[in-house]
Amino acid sequence: MSAANKLFTWKKPYELKKTDTLFLQAMQENVRHHYENSPDYARILDEKGFHPDDLREYDDLRKIPFIPTLYFKRHTMFSVPEKRLLIKATSSGTSGRRSLIGFNGSSLYRGLRMVLSLCKYHRLISLKPVHYIILGYEPARSNPSAITKTTFGQTLFAPALSRDYALKYTKEGYKLDLEDLKQKLIRFSQSKYPVRMTGFPAYTYFLLKQMKEEGICVKLPKGSLMSLGGGWKQFYAEKITKQDFYELAEEVLGIDDQYTVEFFSAVEHPVLYVDCRCHHFHVPVYSRIIIRDVDSLEPVPAGQVGLINLLTPMVDSVPLASVMTDDLGILHDEKCPCGVDSPWLEILGRVGIKDIVTCAAGAQEMLSAKER
Amino acid sequence: MILLHGEVIESNIEQKYLNGLYEDCIKTLSNAEPITAEMVISACDALYRKAMRGEYDEIVLPLLQLSDISYERFQTMAALFSREELEYKCAVELGEDCEMKPLKSGIHRKRYPLGILFHIAAGNVDGLPAYSVIEGLLTGNINILKLPAGDNGLSIKLLSELIRFEPALKDYVYVFDVPSTETETLKKFAEIADGIVVWGGDEAVAAARSMADVQTRIIAWGHKLSFAYVTEQASEEDLYRLALHICETNQVLCSSCQGIFVDTEDWTVLESFGEQFFELLKKANAEKGKADMGMRGRNTIRLYNDLLENHQDRKIFSAEGVSVVIRQDSELELSYLFRNVWIKALPRRKMIETIKKHKNHLQTCGLLCGEAERAELAGLLARAGIVRITGSDMSRMVAGEAHDGTYPLWEYSRIVELDG
Repeated sequence: MSAANKLFTWKKPYELKKTDTLFLQAMQENVRHHYENSPDYARILDEKGFHPDDLREYDDLRKIPFIPTLYFKRHTMFSVPEKRLLIKATSSGTSGRRSLIGFNGSSLYRGLRMVLSLCKYHRLISLKPVHYIILGYEPARSNPSAITKTTFGQTLFAPALSRDYALKYTKEGYKLDLEDLKQKLIRFSQSKYPVRMTGFPAYTYFLLKQMKEEGICVKLPKGSLMSLGGGWKQFYAEKITKQDFYELAEEVLGIDDQYTVEFFSAVEHPVLYVDCRCHHFHVPVYSRIIIRDVDSLEPVPAGQVGLINLLTPMVDSVPLASVMTDDLGILHDEKCPCGVDSPWLEILGRVGIKDIVTCAAGAQEMLSAKER
Repeated sequence: MILLHGEVIESNIEQKYLNGLYEDCIKTLSNAEPITAEMVISACDALYRKAMRGEYDEIVLPLLQLSDISYERFQTMAALFSREELEYKCAVELGEDCEMKPLKSGIHRKRYPLGILFHIAAGNVDGLPAYSVIEGLLTGNINILKLPAGDNGLSIKLLSELIRFEPALKDYVYVFDVPSTETETLKKFAEIADGIVVWGGDEAVAAARSMADVQTRIIAWGHKLSFAYVTEQASEEDLYRLALHICETNQVLCSSCQGIFVDTEDWTVLESFGEQFFELLKKANAEKGKADMGMRGRNTIRLYNDLLENHQDRKIFSAEGVSVVIRQDSELELSYLFRNVWIKALPRRKMIETIKKHKNHLQTCGLLCGEAERAELAGLLARAGIVRITGSDMSRMVAGEAHDGTYPLWEYSRIVELDG
């Protein structure tokens, strides 16, 4: 069994220290595989003076030349023949370029094992049937974005009695229909089956705010769950804190913040991060995170702000071994009351950008383009 | 929020207020005693004095903090509303005492307002939407203002205060909080208007053009691009001041320097200039303190990505969050912003053909050269379409200066000739 498969079938998803050696081995395999099969990746490593043999010990992980997510938006890189890709996914950017990433069988198998293990750990798998309210897109052939696929995937963790979508697919394309969801929530609050809400945080917030303004407050059945995924980026404009969001959910839907789970993932780094009961994104065994200085790109100590560099040996089909986001974050290593001792990532996004005002031609578009 | 006949209405249901708008405007225009510039100037001056006494600090201070503007800068900006500045502005733009001499054949001439102006404001400077309306008022127009998205309420506050000081203005100011997506409503405003004053990027200008009738005049204050032009006679001191300007404005203003054209055809000259300027930029960066961390991170990654993409046409110098990229082409373009400049060769004989095609995007050129060649180069730049030729302080503001090469007060006016 490859080191990567061993890593992705590891029993306890947050045993970081115990998996350091295994993680290194899996990265050695992964980097070598991409070096030998992706000419563009090999060129980049050669230019940076790095060879897969240079990856000897755990501390060498930081030396692997990282690829910016921006690079994937402009270049398609595959390390397996394209016909072996079972799924292709794009990032969900509404403007600007999107990354095209493909997954072959082994990568998907690892992803699946990871998701099962994490959902089991976070007690998201249930046999009790539920009503799904999805604050996102109804799946359609014409929508290849990964977020649509993962939100649909989330509706498989418990048997579905129904699935209702905020963005319904019609002949004229997607249409936002929150009215219908409000009526459904009122109806489901009388049902004996729990409700699971999932989707883009921005839509969820918008729906909750509207319900509050209209005086619609319900108490969803016990065991109801709200999961949020797709990044907090959409939130920055609304300037709300997570705490306010959780309070709103409790007030309008009667969902305690213990039952609010947040997910985070990215097409260019398809590891799933699930927050703990303290709403911290702990690093699972499947990945490692390095925070880098914004000017020098050198690693910074825990607790300091920098650019988020994400590492994982999950994918064989695209060289995602070490990718660099243009988001700021902090890796915290202080003790978390939830008991997990793996460090946790705080995503700050692109701090400051929301307040920037400009009149240089083209600058507004350039700064506001959502690239994820 | 809506401002209608001097009243602030907490509503976003425009429809019922919209219906009577045209009739109201006709009634106002029928009035034999329209407002005068003097009324507007006194009201603005009263507002200015009250602001200087600190009576608006409760509203102003949080806004300043939010946009990182010092109180001193606020005071300089507020002075634009003072009697002294406004009278000077009117005199410069419309002529002393705003009177026009009769033509030779005894034909009398008088400046009149266009009539009804529809202002589509941009949100990039607080107070600018209100200032646009004040320019419309100074020329005697009825003004309909569409607030920019995310307006913080300042515009309505300012304008309703003006009306309190001079109640006659109440029928000349209408403010609506209509989102840009409500094109039907916006089209109605556009139909009523004699002129559309649009602030914003190319998209906003194009949208205004698309909704306007062919009979409606469009006055577009669009976003601009500015650059510096340097010859070998430029002094190191001037270059350092240019570097300071780049750090101070973070290259986000219309007048901010995006890059530097060097009067040469020699790559080695360009390279050594690039190295020299990189050192000056680092020094200026250290003096001014670093730019926003998120922006630095974003640009560091973009430059790293450029290196990966292995472009053969550029040389990148980057450190401490600032960069200089020497490029082989001569295209005028936006920089990466936040202290990242491009440097390109542009021999003066190619100036006009290279620059002119950017037409209405052109604004300021910081011209750093020797005294003897200054007039020649300034002439070339002006003929290429540049409207402000400055030294290293490219974003300087002076009372009475034109706006993007023209006087707004004239744009909002027309000349009426009366025989006999």
